[in-house]
Amino acid sequence: MIASTARETRLRIAAINSYYGDSHILRDVSLEIGAGETVALLGRNGVGKTTTLKSIVGWVRPRTGSVTLDGRELMGCDMMTIARAGVALVPEERRIFTNLTVAENLKLAQVTARAPGWTLDHVYEKFPRLRERLTHKGDEISGGEKQMLAIARALLQDVKVLLLDEPTEGLAPLVVREVESVIREIKAAGITTLLVEQNLYSALAVADRCYIIDQGEIKFEGTPEQVRGDEELRRRYLHV
Amino acid sequence: MTTAPNAAPEGAAFERRASLVADLRFVLLAALALAAFPFVLHPIGGYAGLATQILITSIAAVAFNLLLGYAGMLSYGQAMFYGGGGYVAAILLLRAMPQHPNLWLAVLGATLVTAIMALLVGAVTVRLYGIYFALLTLAFAQMVFFIVEQAKDWTNGDDGLQSIPNALLPIGPWNVDLTVGLPPVDLGPFGNLGDIKLWYILAAIALIAVLLFTRLLIRSQFGEVLTAIRENEERSVMVGFSAPLYRLAAFGIAGALTGLAGALRACYDGTVAVESLSIERSGQFVVYTVVGGVQTLVSPVVGTALIMYLENVLSGKTPAWRLIEGIIFVAVIVFLPRGVLGTLLNQREKNPRSIFRRALRPRTEEPEPLLRPNVEGRRAGPLSIIETSKLGKLFGHFAANHDIDFQVDPAELRAVIGPNGAGKTTFFNLLAGTIAPTSGTINYKGRDVSRVSGTERVHLGIAKAFQTASLYPDQTVRQNCRLAALARVQGPFALQVLRRSTRLDDVDALAERAMDRLELAAVADVRAGDLSHGDKKRLDIAIALATQPQILLLDEPVAGMSKDEARKTEGLIRRLSTEMTVLVIEHDMEMVMGISDTITVLHQGTVLATGTPAEIRANATVQEAYLGGHTEEEFAGA
Amino acid sequence: MEAVIEALLNGLVQGLIYVAIAVGLTIIFGTLRLVNFAHGAFYAIGAYVGLVVAQHVGFVPGLIAAPLAVAVFAVLLDRLVLQYFYEKTPTAQILVTFGIALVVEETLRLIFGGTTQQFPTPAALQGAVSLGPIAYPAYRLVFAVGVLIMIGLVWLFLVRTNYGLVVRAGVRDRIMVQLLGGNIRQASTVVFALGAAVAGLVGAAASPIYSIDPSTGFLFLVPSFVVVVVGGLGSFWGAVLGGLLIGELQSLTTLVYAPAANVIIYICMALVLLFRPQGLLGESEVIRQS
Repeated sequence: MIASTARETRLRIAAINSYYGDSHILRDVSLEIGAGETVALLGRNGVGKTTTLKSIVGWVRPRTGSVTLDGRELMGCDMMTIARAGVALVPEERRIFTNLTVAENLKLAQVTARAPGWTLDHVYEKFPRLRERLTHKGDEISGGEKQMLAIARALLQDVKVLLLDEPTEGLAPLVVREVESVIREIKAAGITTLLVEQNLYSALAVADRCYIIDQGEIKFEGTPEQVRGDEELRRRYLHV
Repeated sequence: MTTAPNAAPEGAAFERRASLVADLRFVLLAALALAAFPFVLHPIGGYAGLATQILITSIAAVAFNLLLGYAGMLSYGQAMFYGGGGYVAAILLLRAMPQHPNLWLAVLGATLVTAIMALLVGAVTVRLYGIYFALLTLAFAQMVFFIVEQAKDWTNGDDGLQSIPNALLPIGPWNVDLTVGLPPVDLGPFGNLGDIKLWYILAAIALIAVLLFTRLLIRSQFGEVLTAIRENEERSVMVGFSAPLYRLAAFGIAGALTGLAGALRACYDGTVAVESLSIERSGQFVVYTVVGGVQTLVSPVVGTALIMYLENVLSGKTPAWRLIEGIIFVAVIVFLPRGVLGTLLNQREKNPRSIFRRALRPRTEEPEPLLRPNVEGRRAGPLSIIETSKLGKLFGHFAANHDIDFQVDPAELRAVIGPNGAGKTTFFNLLAGTIAPTSGTINYKGRDVSRVSGTERVHLGIAKAFQTASLYPDQTVRQNCRLAALARVQGPFALQVLRRSTRLDDVDALAERAMDRLELAAVADVRAGDLSHGDKKRLDIAIALATQPQILLLDEPVAGMSKDEARKTEGLIRRLSTEMTVLVIEHDMEMVMGISDTITVLHQGTVLATGTPAEIRANATVQEAYLGGHTEEEFAGA
Repeated sequence: MEAVIEALLNGLVQGLIYVAIAVGLTIIFGTLRLVNFAHGAFYAIGAYVGLVVAQHVGFVPGLIAAPLAVAVFAVLLDRLVLQYFYEKTPTAQILVTFGIALVVEETLRLIFGGTTQQFPTPAALQGAVSLGPIAYPAYRLVFAVGVLIMIGLVWLFLVRTNYGLVVRAGVRDRIMVQLLGGNIRQASTVVFALGAAVAGLVGAAASPIYSIDPSTGFLFLVPSFVVVVVGGLGSFWGAVLGGLLIGELQSLTTLVYAPAANVIIYICMALVLLFRPQGLLGESEVIRQS
């Protein structure tokens, strides 16, 4: 395993095994993310990417293994505690509160935060469309705006590790570009990020390192260049 | 056909004899217990009359338990049948036969009326679940209460009906007066034999009859299915049972028995009051049954006896007796884990259920011959077994599936794959009938089945195995398969309340065959909940198989399995596809490429490509879809 | 004509009581997913606490003591018993809360006896106010206004405070609130106590209008469930609309054909359950079979 040199490890997942009931989804999965790194977790759907993220935030409790943040063990803690420790998940379905307005969605993130992250002005600067939609209810905005809102919610809190689950999924190409640019901004701001993406080009453009997962096991760890250069690797694990 | 290694060698006849003996033993024990009951009651402050009241009331409690413990239905309105039965009996005696009050007629009439009432109310209420069902039964009971209170000409309103003529029981040439007591014999501390009226003997006989009936009912074919529906309704519906009809039948039977109890009580007391229709009365049945214990046959009797005895003894001594009753009730619910409420509380209510089920259409299809011979290769007949045209499903504004044109041939093994947002599971659910399409059609063997319910489709030959194994966890592997086979053999509903399903040999044959095909014979008698994950998944497939499908839909059959189990299961699936059409959703590409005849790729809700594994591999559009819309060339260039 | 106006006003008063109880019931269901058959008990406890304090200290202190006492009781109930039932089936929840309601009713009966008690109208508010053609009891008008204000305050709490924001978000998506670091457990307890306190306050305030006896709890519980079902389980405005509707329906039916007054609300609930089970303002559950 390539150690993340020159950077301290921020998030370490060691040999976790997660189940849905009896169904063994993650088998001895191990990852490491260094401070300030953007790491991509790649793989087809149904192979355990989302389960990995859920296992980190306590949404799914792994049966064995450990998850540490800056050395602090997170395994066994509940979702609220892990979120307050600084791990923010932007889920695949975005999960905007549809009964609240955009402004209220943002406000809620500020209210529940242990410590503040970005200021509201900074958020409006980076996500100008949200400012135009403040009074709209959560279900009255477009898919792209929902994604922006979901990411903005996370950034309003003091984030140590940002987990993004398929941020470009289901979005039109132009909106995908916008989201990609936001992710680059986040990277530039030095926020440690674990990015789950099926959109390979998007992921490789922004990742420092990549992992590939298939049928619940980590099959590859390396650089984006290595993934770009290995057609057989892509064929085996990323497409058909 | 292999038999399980530890199957009993005796035949059906022996089993019938054995169960007859067991039933007789039960009746004998019950008779002895009830014979001793009043004498046991006497020294501790009870009296014979109380004993009679307890027995009659417990009939209603047993009926309530049929609903709550066995059918899983919490009814807060049983008083409408209890009081209803009482009022009907009283009115019959007062108006129809004041000169010759006949107990048979009064009680029979009351039971009949409450049975009809229960079926009418049930037809409307059994479509709902949980809190909605409880509230609706409560609503109906309240309606009945207030109507009876207002219909003063018939019912005397709040004052109730008094002076009901003492009904005689015609047996042969005699008219038995039940208020007559046994010969007076002093039994010391156990009271006087003469305190026991013939009423007590009638009540005891009635209770034993009801207990025996309920016992037979639970073990019957009907009872087996009712229990299965309570244990896993989702599975039961998708195996071919009609849950609403079974619920309705249970509600009707319970209502009739409750009416019987109410009628007996009115005749015994000689009066009937509006209180017998009240919420409090309905609540009492809940308390009696829960305290006694849900889900064992005689425990409602025990609960009724306990509470009524305490009421009787304590009401003289302290005004707090009802409080004590309430505390006992809460304590039982909170503290008695297994045994009493364990089963109740463990039953996880699944995703919010549909409150309305589609009405069952009459079956027009001829049933297939029971054991089809193995068919090698393709069958003659229409080329496609299932075909969809412009099939679509909208959830709100979201089009999970749209414009799907799909067809598959008999005995083909077709894999359905696709990247995120493909709509694969929605597609399967449309084919299986768990959801209805919002556009387009589905043709099965040339017939349009788009509006046919999932339950019906199973009987037509379309069976589905679930992504998360949906089993009857408290039953053995064999019983799980037998239930599915039973649905196949008997149809969606059969009112076989006295006969057991073991008399149906076809059921056993189908079940054995299904277990064999999935290599589960070794664990045939293991409780499904205790199986390993791989075995559970295979059992789920076996259950679908036991319904004798012609097309089998498998949703991620090897998900979560180890490599070895996955390979083994693949092989079993491959063998199945020689006899029937198999559609598989899978993410394990090694498996998909290895065993499929053809592959359909779904993407963003519609079909992207169909072809052999090699064709799909070579298809650039498919690769693009998986990479989020980027091609190999873009990589080379990047 | 006068009779109609009077009936409308009576319906308003009656309806507002239902609203107060139903609002608590419905937001408790929305946040905790708890079917609370013991909610009527909160009303009854409030009424009796109000009675006792009023008899010894004063009416207004009674109005303060009642909701406080009920809130404390509710929190104890939550911590000691109910928190173990939040994940259980609705059937189990109905049974345990029903049992608690029984215990409360019987305890009240033990302490206060079974006879009904009428609380005298506070001196300052006795007498009637003339409203056009009729004279209507002053206390009832003040009561109606008071309940409306209280409901307004609850609504303000929900939409203007941070706590209310967390509660409203939690009604929609408990998991996301936790993923954002929100303490949904605490918010739920606050909601439970609040809903109970509202019922308790109304119980105390309504005591000069309706006589109190230990079975008051159940007496008001059942129609309140009707209200919640008609309005929509989980909907605040549904509870308001439903309560007023049911209250007026009962009152007007009493005027027109008294014997049907009690039955009509159940017919109403049955109709709603059969044709629009999500209630007037509830959301239709996007339900897939199995």
